[in-house]
Amino acid sequence: MRSFDTVRAGTPPALARRHFLAAAGAGAVGLALTGCARGSSAAAVPGEVSISTDNSDWDDGFRRAGDALQSLTGYGLRPESSPEAIAYKQVTQMTLETSRAADVIKWGAGYELKSLARGGKLTDLSRLWERYEQKGWVRGGQRASMSYRGAVYGVPLYESHYVVFYNKRLFTRLGLGPPATWDELTHCADTLKRRGVTPFVATQFGGWPAYQWFQELVSKIDPDFYRALVAGRARYTDEVAREAMDIWQGFIRKGWMTSPDFDQGNGAAALKAGRVGMFLYGTWGAKGFSDLGMRPGKDYDAFVLPTVRKTTRKSVITESGVLAVPLGATRHEAGVESVGAWLAPSVQRVWADYLDDGSANPAVRAGNPVVAEVRETVARERMPRLIRYGEASPPNLVQGNTQDLSSFMTQQSSPGDTLRSMAERSEDEWAAWKRDEA
Amino acid sequence: MSTPTTRSRTGTDHESAPAGSVSRTPIRPSTSRGGGAQQPPVRERLASGAFLAPAVLLVGALLLAPFAATFYRSFFNDHRTSGFAGLDNYELFFTNESLVRSVENTLMWMAGTVVLPCVLGLAVAWLTNATRWSRLARLCVVAPYALSGAAVAVVWNFMLTSDGALNQLLTSVGLDPPAQGWLLEWPSNTVVLILANAWQATGVAVILFLVGLQGIPPETLEAASLDGAGPWQRFRHVVLPQLRPVSVIVIGISLANGLKSFDLIWVLTRGGPGRLTETLAVSMYQETFLLQHAGAGAAIAVVLTLIVLAASWLYLRRQLDAKGD
Repeated sequence: MRSFDTVRAGTPPALARRHFLAAAGAGAVGLALTGCARGSSAAAVPGEVSISTDNSDWDDGFRRAGDALQSLTGYGLRPESSPEAIAYKQVTQMTLETSRAADVIKWGAGYELKSLARGGKLTDLSRLWERYEQKGWVRGGQRASMSYRGAVYGVPLYESHYVVFYNKRLFTRLGLGPPATWDELTHCADTLKRRGVTPFVATQFGGWPAYQWFQELVSKIDPDFYRALVAGRARYTDEVAREAMDIWQGFIRKGWMTSPDFDQGNGAAALKAGRVGMFLYGTWGAKGFSDLGMRPGKDYDAFVLPTVRKTTRKSVITESGVLAVPLGATRHEAGVESVGAWLAPSVQRVWADYLDDGSANPAVRAGNPVVAEVRETVARERMPRLIRYGEASPPNLVQGNTQDLSSFMTQQSSPGDTLRSMAERSEDEWAAWKRDEA
Repeated sequence: MSTPTTRSRTGTDHESAPAGSVSRTPIRPSTSRGGGAQQPPVRERLASGAFLAPAVLLVGALLLAPFAATFYRSFFNDHRTSGFAGLDNYELFFTNESLVRSVENTLMWMAGTVVLPCVLGLAVAWLTNATRWSRLARLCVVAPYALSGAAVAVVWNFMLTSDGALNQLLTSVGLDPPAQGWLLEWPSNTVVLILANAWQATGVAVILFLVGLQGIPPETLEAASLDGAGPWQRFRHVVLPQLRPVSVIVIGISLANGLKSFDLIWVLTRGGPGRLTETLAVSMYQETFLLQHAGAGAAIAVVLTLIVLAASWLYLRRQLDAKGD
């Protein structure tokens, strides 16, 4: 009895420990299996195409555009957004190596797309592009920024122009109008400054905004030089770039620009409140004004920054996101079909209205009258559309030079030192790009 | 007292070695590894090995193997088809201005994150240990520690931007805010980041020092008082020596936190403007993930690891040796 009792007395703790260990082990195995399992985000859903993006604000817009797509292709859109752009790039590049990539991905145009396409993991959409051209749903000039080695790998997601938004009521009160020349622009800035209003939003907060004024000033002095510069055919230490930096430095010294740590996300509110007078931004920024209850054409308006000299050809900086289809997409055919119908007017009508911005399809008029007017001006005056600096050169060059411009904006680096550093990096990075291409 | 005793024992052993060898024989098996009868059974050894295996495998697979791979990668260049580059990636520490600045910032962070949380933590712990409002005061200091680094950064961003709360406060009391923003000029921006970090990191130091303070026997303080020691003398000669074990932990934690600081910097400045506020941890991320320079990023990771190991080893070895165990 004693031994029996002893055994009985000792067994429960041992059993409990074994049960605990077994349960913990099973739990760990379960967690490991769950972790290795295919997540719902990568799984195919009947009637839907997954679209991977870095902008969760657009989820609703993609769903609405997906509803319009469904009547054309039979597939809606299921957005899978990542909250952080850098993390999004890493994750997307990794998933491209698998057979379970998203059906459609959002990416940058120009060299962002070329960098991705040269890995050989994107679908060649050249035939699809030709069909778009035949229908007149794309402009010929858009192809270059969607191509790598002659083949098209993307379809434009939208088309935004960089313009200067201004507070129309404030301008009217001060007797100002939208400037058509450089002198008129500086007069506006001077007047605003004297009335206690910061004339321009300019910031390096968030990184990329640092190149906004650089691309504008260089292209408004000489658009051909801008093209040559970003293509590696001109030097950053050349006269045009120096002049642009001197103008910029002058603006900063006169107190015409916001502090370099100003958050552009507050730009629309600052413009509405009359704390700033003009806001250089993409036309996609119009949605921010609408969300604040500002009426287009009445409370705010926009103009393309005038050229520094009257004889210089007018131009506009243009930005296009890209839709691409990974070769390893879970539903590859459905992805291609959806991208093939993306620029259809019925889809673009919904999408452009949601964005309050311009469609990449030239046949679709922007719903926002301010954006529509800008686009008509660009078309009427035959302004060349210059690719935005962020996508116009190899990504590492853009990244490093943007940081140099940040240093300049915070007065940590002189214009000369900034340009020299950018020039050296340009040589190195173009050499690296060409070496890698070879 | 102890030294002569030891000497006499040692002397006795030596002198009696020939004669005492037989009598010492029974003692030997306790230290001998040759006697098979004294070894733990195979079953026990297997069992202990099985218990150790998961930890060893996990550390090996998740820590040592990636480190070995990173070390290996650091000797290859960052061309599209990567080739052997020797020490080129390590040369960047002498030729790349951003990396040199990053090392400077890292050293500033090391000094700042050790000194500030320790001094402030000890001061707050000592001052709030026995006062009536100590709980509330402690809560105020400790609460930031419960926040994530990113959340702390968002709060400080609200404070430190040019149109932020701090400048508005200065203006409202008639003071001039700095001409350049708090986060825009080097090295003041790194100092401000370190102060923001100290605001959060002091909490854990306070908790640990409080534990240490509450473990000090009150008799020692009473004895010091009876001997006529003033408050400062009691603190300096009675309290501080008894806080030594806790200080080792606090300084060790602060050192490691300072060297791996990332989230606060990344959210507040992204290492900018330019690359002025980068530490080695941020530079590693910048090179590896933004510039796609995996080789350079690996070299930075290796150097950072060596700095952490060297600092921890030098410090802990000295402290633990001095403690005597």
